[in-house]
Amino acid sequence: MNRLMTLIKREYWENKGAFHTTPLVIGGIYIIGMLMAIWTTVHFDNELYTFKEAVRLAASQSDELRSAIAYSGILVSSELFTTVLAFVVFFYLLGSLYDDRKDRSILFWKSLPASDTLTLASKLLAAMFLVPIIFWVIFVLTQVAMALIGSIMVLSVGENPWTLFLSVTNPFKPWGFVLLTYLAQAIWALPVYAWLMFVSSFAPRVPLLFAILPPVVFAVLQIWLKFLQTFTFKDNLFGVIGEWFSNSPLIMSVDENRGEIAAGLGIPISDTFDHAVTVANIFDRLFSQQMAIGLVVAAVLLAGSLWMRHRATDS
Amino acid sequence: MTNVIEARGLTKRYGRFTAVDAIDLEVPAGRIVGLIGPNGAGKTSALKAILGLTNFEGSLKVLGKDPSRDRASLMEDVCFIADVAVLPRWARVWQLIEFTEKIHSKFSREKCEKYLTSTKITMQHKVKQLSKGMVAQLHLAIVMAIDVKLLILDEPTLGLDILYRKQFYTNLLNDYFDEDRSILITTHQVEEVEHILSDLIFIQDGKIALDCTMEVVQERYVELVTSPDQVDAARAMNPLFERVLFGRHIFLYKNVNRAGLKELGELHTPSVADLFVATMTGSES
Repeated sequence: MNRLMTLIKREYWENKGAFHTTPLVIGGIYIIGMLMAIWTTVHFDNELYTFKEAVRLAASQSDELRSAIAYSGILVSSELFTTVLAFVVFFYLLGSLYDDRKDRSILFWKSLPASDTLTLASKLLAAMFLVPIIFWVIFVLTQVAMALIGSIMVLSVGENPWTLFLSVTNPFKPWGFVLLTYLAQAIWALPVYAWLMFVSSFAPRVPLLFAILPPVVFAVLQIWLKFLQTFTFKDNLFGVIGEWFSNSPLIMSVDENRGEIAAGLGIPISDTFDHAVTVANIFDRLFSQQMAIGLVVAAVLLAGSLWMRHRATDS
Repeated sequence: MTNVIEARGLTKRYGRFTAVDAIDLEVPAGRIVGLIGPNGAGKTSALKAILGLTNFEGSLKVLGKDPSRDRASLMEDVCFIADVAVLPRWARVWQLIEFTEKIHSKFSREKCEKYLTSTKITMQHKVKQLSKGMVAQLHLAIVMAIDVKLLILDEPTLGLDILYRKQFYTNLLNDYFDEDRSILITTHQVEEVEHILSDLIFIQDGKIALDCTMEVVQERYVELVTSPDQVDAARAMNPLFERVLFGRHIFLYKNVNRAGLKELGELHTPSVADLFVATMTGSES
């Protein structure tokens, strides 16, 4: 256990820029964006007349409406973090078993008594849990900072931020949802994570190419053969990947529902699952047949990665 | 005395090319063994098999374990420096030390820090900020602070300047080696290691060309330096190898009557480098 934690810590040290600095930059973008908006408003309207009016208008709405807007707002504003998180995890896994072969430091790591299984586990766990949790913490801190700045602005025009939004908002529910979706996605995405690790374990160079080219070639051949037989474009690998992606238990879309803007799980183009953000819908995905197949695929690919890693040296 | 390394018919193939061809090898405890061979002779392949970094044919036991199956547990008692500059470039010195301390139960932080105090390396340095020589110093400091039974060095001083190279072996011999430990070294720079070796193994085309202790080398081989007028007499005594240096003829003999030879000129113990050249180019095997 101690060794596993040390190995995970090593992953953090090596990838501090991607794991830590990147979400901080996104948080910074949100806060700087907010400050720029404030600055622009003040620049054109130094009495803050319009802002005051807007605050009064908002204050005259019902508590329920303000609460619902804050709730959706928090969920929706996680999407930039989520998107960047996906890219970070993608490229991290793609390099996870490749970079140390390339820079030959694998010869140092393998000179120490840490088993290949433990090494592989540390990298997978870092991608599944460490990175999403760091992103989530910085996401929450960003929102706290934005609520603070917002409150100061509201106070400066003589209104009460507590009655306006702080008292009607329960941020813990949407924050909890974002964290839950990150953890659920870690499991949902396992077949893809395992594929990336597998590619990383054997690619002689440019793992990105090895990750993308085979599925593309396979799918194109599939589409072509299918088209020759049935003159349709249904049921191919692209469809499977597209379906998998659009069913992710992540907050990825914004939907209008009875006049209200609501965040949605995945992208509502397939109706295999319900896309409303609820705990039940998240668990529906994790206990589905698709998930079971995905776990089998992941297990096979991870076993393949381990086999490759066992034989891997510096060339 | 038990053997640290025991190989029987160790073979490593890459496709149709046989890098290591059915070698038998025994390394007893408490020895410093030099594994010497030309480029592509199979040295690194043999070492990789011993370290569990590659699969192989034949039987191989290192400290009683099968390296291809038990690499992780074997590394509790074996350490290696595969080459200079394999330390991860992104890492800071303190991170490498903390990592090794947590992963390796036989690592002593005090020892490592003590070795580092005699260098210019600080805890905050990143590996990529260090010169090649300093990286080698750091790697050696980490490795020497680990209490293992077998240390394997594959070209440990490649690309280092002469000051670092000298110091590297001095540290290794003075601060590290004792009779419970064994060291296996491969290198091209034979001159540097010949005074510290206790055993010599030559490897050529995947086969062992010579395997004996340094005492046996001294007993078995002798070098005669003589003037041109004695050349015919010297040749009559079946030298292994002959060369000419500054007008003087130098002959290398194996198992020869030294009393008879002494009358022809000066006798020396041959250097490992000369023995190597003679073995690799001569007919002797």
